[in-house]
Amino acid sequence: MPIFIPLICLMGMGVALLQRSAQAVPADPAAREDVPARLLRWAVGLLSPRREEWGQAMLGELHHIDGRGRRWRFAAGCAGAALLLPPWGRAATAVTALVAVAAGSAVLYAFLGVRYGLGVWDWVFAAIALVLLACYALVASVLLRQPGVALPGLLGGLLVGLMWLILSGHTFYDVINLVTSPLGTLVLVIALPVLVGVAGTLWSGSAAAGRRIARLAGISAGLSISLYGIIAVVALGTGGPPGDPGCTGSCLIADRIATNTIFYLWLLPLTTAALGWSAAAATARVRPRLAAIVGSAPVTVTGVVAARRHRAAHVVLTCALVAAFLIGIAVAFLKG
Amino acid sequence: MQRNRPPSAQTINVLRALAADPARWRYGYDLATEVHLKSGSLYPILVRLADRGLLETSWEPSEGSRPPRHLYRLSTAGREYVAALPAARAGRTVHSPHNHLSEA
Repeated sequence: MPIFIPLICLMGMGVALLQRSAQAVPADPAAREDVPARLLRWAVGLLSPRREEWGQAMLGELHHIDGRGRRWRFAAGCAGAALLLPPWGRAATAVTALVAVAAGSAVLYAFLGVRYGLGVWDWVFAAIALVLLACYALVASVLLRQPGVALPGLLGGLLVGLMWLILSGHTFYDVINLVTSPLGTLVLVIALPVLVGVAGTLWSGSAAAGRRIARLAGISAGLSISLYGIIAVVALGTGGPPGDPGCTGSCLIADRIATNTIFYLWLLPLTTAALGWSAAAATARVRPRLAAIVGSAPVTVTGVVAARRHRAAHVVLTCALVAAFLIGIAVAFLKG
Repeated sequence: MQRNRPPSAQTINVLRALAADPARWRYGYDLATEVHLKSGSLYPILVRLADRGLLETSWEPSEGSRPPRHLYRLSTAGREYVAALPAARAGRTVHSPHNHLSEA
């Protein structure tokens, strides 16, 4: 069943994205913004209120630039500048802390690779982990600057991280040799993310903020536990719990690095973000005043066709999601 | 506390481009094209110059459905600053290949 969880989560996110894009597409083609404009509008939303005028300046300038390539280059450059332009306010401390955690993990991954002379494929795996770390640090720096997300998101991450340590064990030995009861697994991969999504939505009073809170909670917990896990690998070296038969030395270290990456850098953030996202959306359905207000636009033929395509894709992906879920349950039942 | 680091070569290029016709309001994209800077480098420079009071900004009235454009020119303090730049530094022009490489 754990193998199916990331797949189901990814498909669930696909359904949610399709549903959201179907709602967000204005029926009037003239009212639509191209991708560079949307990218830049998103990026300038991260600027502090003190820099709001500069964000409007970038958007205003983009509207007067013709040519796809020119627009892309201008928007990408401005988006990069908006991501880094100070001041970041109180978010700066949390961003620095999370970037330091990610950098610490990256250094330890590299240290283990050199110290135990990992093979080429192990280095490829370590490189994937480093890319994940960099992506999480970037996404966290974006989420932390969104209004009303930082505090509940970090508290959610603290809760998720503590629960993972409580239910799977907090010693170096336990973190490396991750074993949980079936009930504990259900709590960690389903109940806890749902709780974070619902609580985040109710705390912030908005489904959009609730989804961001769930994402930040997953990322911050994943980064923290992953650092703890990699410290455990360094501290125990080739000692600690036995690995697969015949797997010793660098093989054992590579195995532990892979376990750490899969569980703490992949499964934990993904399940928390995806199920928390779904829970936030469900909470907004139950309490409609929490949902984002979507403006209505005049209906045109193009808009109707686009809506039909989105609806068809939504139905197909939902059916695939349900099928994957049922297959996952069946496989788990048969294996049990 | 405001840090007063010496201006970078790119900042000097922007200052000199603005100082060429100090009374004229300039668009951001035109300025970037003129000094061969990417937008991601130009806007932080403009923000820093405005923070230091060296740049005046204004909004051009919007045309139809298009949003208004931001305009820039040197303030009086900015003109004095450019005039006071050491000749060697101010003499660094935008068109040297070295500057093109250093901004990449």
